Amino acid sequence: MINTVLVANRGEIACRILRACSEAGLNSIAIYAENDAGSLFTELATIAVPLVGDTIGETYLNQQQILTIAAEHGADAIHPGFGFLSERADFAQAVIDAGINWIGPSPHAIEMMGDKMTARMTMKAAGVPVIPGEEIESEDEAGMISAIVEASERVGYPLLLKASSGGGGKGMRKVEDPANLEEAIKGARREAIAAFGDGRVYVERLLTGSKHVEIQVLADTHGRTIHLGERECSVQRRHQKVFEEAPCPVMTDGLRARMGEAAVMAAQAVDYVGAGTVEFLLASNGEFFFLEMNTRIQVEHPVTEMVTGADLVREQLRIAAGEPMSCGNLMMRGHSIEVRLYAEDATNNFLPAIGPLAVFRAPTGPGIRLDTGVREGDMVTPNYDPMLAKLIVWAPSREEALERMRRALDEFVVLGTTTNIRFLRELCDNRDVVSGRTDTTLIERVWPNGWTPTYSDSSLDSALMVAAVSESAGLHRTQAQKAESNDGPISPFQTLNRRYP
Amino acid sequence: MMHEFKINGEMVEVTVARDGQDWLLGEYQARVLTDGRIMVHTTDGRSRIAHSAKVGDVWWVHIDGHIFCIEKTEAGSADGDSEGGMTAPMPGKILEVKVADGQTVEAGELLLVMEAMKMEHRIVAPTDGVVTKVNFSMGDQVQQGDVLVEMGE
Repeated sequence: MINTVLVANRGEIACRILRACSEAGLNSIAIYAENDAGSLFTELATIAVPLVGDTIGETYLNQQQILTIAAEHGADAIHPGFGFLSERADFAQAVIDAGINWIGPSPHAIEMMGDKMTARMTMKAAGVPVIPGEEIESEDEAGMISAIVEASERVGYPLLLKASSGGGGKGMRKVEDPANLEEAIKGARREAIAAFGDGRVYVERLLTGSKHVEIQVLADTHGRTIHLGERECSVQRRHQKVFEEAPCPVMTDGLRARMGEAAVMAAQAVDYVGAGTVEFLLASNGEFFFLEMNTRIQVEHPVTEMVTGADLVREQLRIAAGEPMSCGNLMMRGHSIEVRLYAEDATNNFLPAIGPLAVFRAPTGPGIRLDTGVREGDMVTPNYDPMLAKLIVWAPSREEALERMRRALDEFVVLGTTTNIRFLRELCDNRDVVSGRTDTTLIERVWPNGWTPTYSDSSLDSALMVAAVSESAGLHRTQAQKAESNDGPISPFQTLNRRYP
Repeated sequence: MMHEFKINGEMVEVTVARDGQDWLLGEYQARVLTDGRIMVHTTDGRSRIAHSAKVGDVWWVHIDGHIFCIEKTEAGSADGDSEGGMTAPMPGKILEVKVADGQTVEAGELLLVMEAMKMEHRIVAPTDGVVTKVNFSMGDQVQQGDVLVEMGE
């Protein structure tokens, strides 16, 4: 049994989990840093508790403070979301030691999969295919450089350097020319130390032209471990996914069965419990290789929910409460696409952007789901990850899902902060995206010199006219007034008071 | 009414005429709706809804699924920011400085590496030129908009 869930996260994923708690009739606790006061997620919880401290380390990564709040407010479960403490085995252990349910796999499973080198070796032993590459044991910079230089001869170019504790593209470097290897090792190591406090780096062959295909798994404590089909997330920029879909356009029933079986084997090899994702590279010849297992709910989980009808976060809550999962046999229906809305400048190497969300109007209509952490009037600050929201569509076919996504992105209006909306919209028109020939190099291949929007003279002329009309009509003054009188619409009770004094 | 704007680095003068509730510009006709959005009609009978918001001096305009950033400039004012400095895109920390004062660099050459939002960003020379001044050194914290490197011809 679980009664009160503390959500140790913020933004979009905190909203997702808090809403699931509300639907499940559970009490929920949001925790927030001072610079998140008033954020959407703090309003969705039964209670919201401020964290003391300025840096992420003092707040969302502060295990002791979070455990103290959990104890003070009677939380009997903690959901870590993704990022932050979600893949920290020591935190999972501390939660369990405090007598609180940990909504996730065991600390042992997190540890085995969290260290990418250990995960590779565990998967090799379990008979799951891994990418040709080498683990590097040396920890000091000089030893590591010479070991990697030596290993690179055997692995071959192009190659990929990866932080052993890595994730989210941090501490990762692509090397095509041996001349750049040493600088790349130093950069990867430095970024890995800064982001994870662990500078170990390993080396893998870069399989160009392959697809990133991952399998969603669910395991409960009643002996069931199942997979919920695949998601394709090949389209990435800076090693971060931007466009995800289910099913994978080139998937066959036979391949899905084999990849699903490998994923279930991977999960069982570490006695996995809860929701997890096994990531694979799928080569053009149909061979697939284990990349890593993410021992948490994933950003792109909604596309699986849309095509399977499962509610993965509700299943996580059920499984953590010791109940059997409610998912039946795998059934996939229609097609779903998710795009990640980032505050970033797609014309300038996807550099994060900040600013006010002066206008934030999301699309609506059939088959559209918006998982957002922000709303109009919020500020985008440099304090956290620049992902603002996820736009997800469902339609009966892939073609119709793309059509729906184009329409939805055209309707999406965000003003005041630069976002990647237009980039995503043009991505939906790309020939390879339309035909499903997506691979992990798509963005750099299609836009080798960076992306710039293309628009008609008529759009530009109209925009200039709109600016001139806005200025002439003094719209900025009415907008400013609106922003100043922030008590919202006039209360109906004031009117009543006047009418019945 | 005449307004001077800057868009994509170019100065543009736009004059709109008022006709009752409507605004006119060549083949375009526009009307401000009660919620502040703007309906734009063209002579071919097409109409679209535009959104606009002013942040600082910049009008953000959404039309046809595109967003345009159009800066309002005061008529007659000089174009102020042609100093050719490379500014910090966000608050962060300088990790590496690759150039020194007086060094000749080519367009695209790496000037320095900074860290912001836990990612490394490479600041490169926009044009061929000479580095006249490097304003920060390794480990320095920088704020958004700080001029990192100044360059001359």
